[in-house]
Amino acid sequence: MSPIVVAVIALITYASRAAALALLPRPGGRFAAVLARVPAPIFASLATLSLVTDDRSFADGPIFFAALGALGMTPKRSLPLCLIGGIAGYALGELFF
Amino acid sequence: MNRSGPTVGSILATSLPAAAAIAVFGTLYGAGARPILGAELTVASSLLIFSGSLQFALVVLLSAGAAAPALLLTAGTLNLRHLVLGAVLRPRMGGSWLRRAGHAFFLLDETFGFAVAAGDAAEREGRGADAAAQRTLLVSGVGCYVAWQTGTVLGVLGAGFPGVAGMAGAIFPVLFIGLASLACRSRSDAVRALSAAALTGGLAFALPGLRALAPVFVGVLVALPREKP
Repeated sequence: MSPIVVAVIALITYASRAAALALLPRPGGRFAAVLARVPAPIFASLATLSLVTDDRSFADGPIFFAALGALGMTPKRSLPLCLIGGIAGYALGELFF
Repeated sequence: MNRSGPTVGSILATSLPAAAAIAVFGTLYGAGARPILGAELTVASSLLIFSGSLQFALVVLLSAGAAAPALLLTAGTLNLRHLVLGAVLRPRMGGSWLRRAGHAFFLLDETFGFAVAAGDAAEREGRGADAAAQRTLLVSGVGCYVAWQTGTVLGVLGAGFPGVAGMAGAIFPVLFIGLASLACRSRSDAVRALSAAALTGGLAFALPGLRALAPVFVGVLVALPREKP
């Protein structure tokens, strides 16, 4: 890969980041309502994706236990508590796997 | 948080686990990319591109002998999700377009999550959501950027964290589960989140080639139905 290709890929990446964030007018109406509902599904989707590997298998056991620990803390709606739950789950998973 | 929004310290504390995990993955990238790209281009790619998933994909493609058009096509495809992340964040980001363009460099899945959560929290507390989201995107973004560069350089130099690589991999599901719980403001949000998780799991197994696009595709799909009155 040449430095020019790296530069072009960097440009594509930045343009994709800036396109909606910098150039899009502030959304309103139905579009804004849909966008407001998107974050929770996106985060849940990203979490799921991090539990499935590229070769269609599940992540290691301790990682699953970490996710379960975090899931157990979701009613508290606190990022630090989810982290603590995740660490506890990971430690438990290490004992089993 | 204070009346004017989250402090730099509180943002860094919140984003520290993600930044630490990003640093660990940075060492893996640095070590894996160096034999293929060379030390200088490996570091340059992290400095300029700053996208772990894309950079790992590029290394895999290069090691399989892919040419420039395939690399550019992959970059374009994987980056499509930024359009949706930017659109979701846009209502929480005020100021001039130039200012937003500056912040845009730091738009990652993780920093997007922190910024959305900070903006929502500020809104609930009757403070400026724009300032909270912008500051959070910038500060957590700089933290993650420094972590990624540090990890890349350490990996290029041959260092690594083999003992904590597994734990670093666990940070991301934990982080996104926590962010999902923060973003759920109603039972309907929770149902949408669970539906998205199920659909994504199915897509990741059925169509692994499209997995990078799954979060935004599924996220928008389940967000489309209106709330029941």
